[in-house]
Amino acid sequence: MSDHDHHSHPPAPQAPLPEDAGSQALAEALSSSFGLVKFVMIGLVLVFLVSNFFIVGPQERALILRLGKPVGEGKEVLLGPGLHFALPYPLDVVRRIPITELQKVVSSSGWYATTPELEQAGQEPPAMPYLDPNNQGYVLTADANILHVRAELTYLITDPVRFVLDFTNAPAALRDALDNALIQTAARLPVDLLLTNNTAFKEALTREVSRLIEARQLGVTADRCDVRVKPPLFLKDAFDRVLTAQVASSTALNEARRYQNQITNQASSTAVTLVNLAESHRKRVVELTEGEAKRFQDLLPQYQANPELLFQQRYNEVISKVLSNAQDRVFLASRADGQPRELRLLLNRDPNREKPKTPGQP
Amino acid sequence: MKKQALTYIVASLLLAIFCALLFMFQVRQSEVAVVTTFGKPTREVHAPGALHFKWPWPIERVYKLDQRVQNFEDDKLDELITAEAFNILVQCYGGWRISDPTAFFPRFGGGSIPQAEKTLRGIISNAKSTVVGQHPLADLVNTDPQKLKFGAIENEILSRVQAQVRTNGYGIEVLFLGIKKLQLPQSATEAVFKRMQAERGRLVDAIQSQGEAEASKIRSSAERQAADVVASAESQATQIRGQGEAESAKSLFVFQQNPALASFLWRLSAIEQSLKDRSTLIFDQGMPPFDLFRSFGPTNAPPARPALRPVQ
Repeated sequence: MSDHDHHSHPPAPQAPLPEDAGSQALAEALSSSFGLVKFVMIGLVLVFLVSNFFIVGPQERALILRLGKPVGEGKEVLLGPGLHFALPYPLDVVRRIPITELQKVVSSSGWYATTPELEQAGQEPPAMPYLDPNNQGYVLTADANILHVRAELTYLITDPVRFVLDFTNAPAALRDALDNALIQTAARLPVDLLLTNNTAFKEALTREVSRLIEARQLGVTADRCDVRVKPPLFLKDAFDRVLTAQVASSTALNEARRYQNQITNQASSTAVTLVNLAESHRKRVVELTEGEAKRFQDLLPQYQANPELLFQQRYNEVISKVLSNAQDRVFLASRADGQPRELRLLLNRDPNREKPKTPGQP
Repeated sequence: MKKQALTYIVASLLLAIFCALLFMFQVRQSEVAVVTTFGKPTREVHAPGALHFKWPWPIERVYKLDQRVQNFEDDKLDELITAEAFNILVQCYGGWRISDPTAFFPRFGGGSIPQAEKTLRGIISNAKSTVVGQHPLADLVNTDPQKLKFGAIENEILSRVQAQVRTNGYGIEVLFLGIKKLQLPQSATEAVFKRMQAERGRLVDAIQSQGEAEASKIRSSAERQAADVVASAESQATQIRGQGEAESAKSLFVFQQNPALASFLWRLSAIEQSLKDRSTLIFDQGMPPFDLFRSFGPTNAPPARPALRPVQ
């Protein structure tokens, strides 16, 4: 523009200055608008140049389509986080791919109709004695029961080029595959297994969805499936009763086992006691007899020497021992006529012990 | 002159861009371009990474068709009838893509994907009602994996759709097809609920009676076991006692030497044992050694009765 100014200045003095104020005003207006245009142009060029640099964030990858074809081979197609350069549009087009480490897709085509508000509050919609197929989702189990099932698939994008360039909506295709796998798995397993054995269900579902992903080459790898299973809301009580019965039954079994332990322990301790008692009895009997035999042997010579003396000595020794141990001793004098005396005893029980009365009957 | 050169450069650049837009086009990896000459498709271009030539409008026109896999889904649950006249609701989904753009393009109003989907929907709807009508419900839900023909039914529907699409020459390729929803009409769900409720009731009864039976089995077997243990211990104890008695009997021969003395000693020790403590003794003068008192008491007392005498 400076060229233009320089160039146009020399003829300016030749121009009739005062006579055309209108054209001068026009020239001024034009030059100021040219200035604006110049400014805008420079701005546009700057924007154009800057727009050729782009930043890839940590949670994404990007690929450049040069004239419609991805730049690079194999793994190098994907540009990692950082600053990258691309040729101006339409030569290069940048496609960004959101890649968190693991992505999720949820299948809720088997879930009952609910609203986010109810979900948030952890509440359930009112139970109906039937399910309207137009808004209620559920699956049929192998034994033709109805269950509500919701699955969440965590996956890893292993082939982003395939995932992004070969499908109009790969996540939707993945969700369809998950729906498909879910009803197929449910159609194979009975209701009680689905409800109680979450692990087996999850494994079967992951296997099935992996098979579908493989067959369709969706460019992802299934990491794991999480499932939630619920009986129909209308039948909640009926299903709860089964659970209660199961708990009660296992409690009864545990109690029975406890009783079994207790009674067998008791029995074995009784058995040990019995045997021990018998053993000690045996020992005592043997020792006692042996002791007696020994004493007998010792006493025999004395007896043979004078039987009467030995009798008297032994007898009196025992009687005096017995008498000194006895609690009560009652001596009855003989009646004058030599007849035996009659004796009446009033016996009390032990605790309120009284001395037995011995009314001497004359 | 400087200014003129710049003007020429800018002008030729603009002209070049204009000509490029007019005479060139590119296709993406995921696209195929159909070029029409005076409205008639004449060639298709599928070579990304290069610029392609065309005559400017109105001679030639370029239509770009998306060649990626399109997701397809039944918009509603179709009520179908199984082989045993059972009503079920089936929703299918699938994936298809344009395989022959030249055939596809004129067929569906200048390559309209929604129009193609509408046609496809009709074909799938027919195929699925035909296939489901040939199978009982037990082929779709079954506890026996051998009898389950879920995948086979899906494949049957798919191959029917594929055949139909091929015959009609739509330029479409259906890549996969599956069942997304399998449900029952509303009235049937009511019946199923009733059956399920009854089944739960039966299950509760079964669990209860089974639990009770199991528990009482455990109890009775425990009791029997315990009784067995005690009984065998008792018999063992009796045996041990018997052994002890037999052993002690061995020393009986010693007493043979003088049974009178033995009997006396035993009787003495019996008295000693039985009157150990807390006993009350009542005796009279006749019992030695208290017969001693007699010498101080009444004179005409009977002669002393010996309390214990060895039996000779």
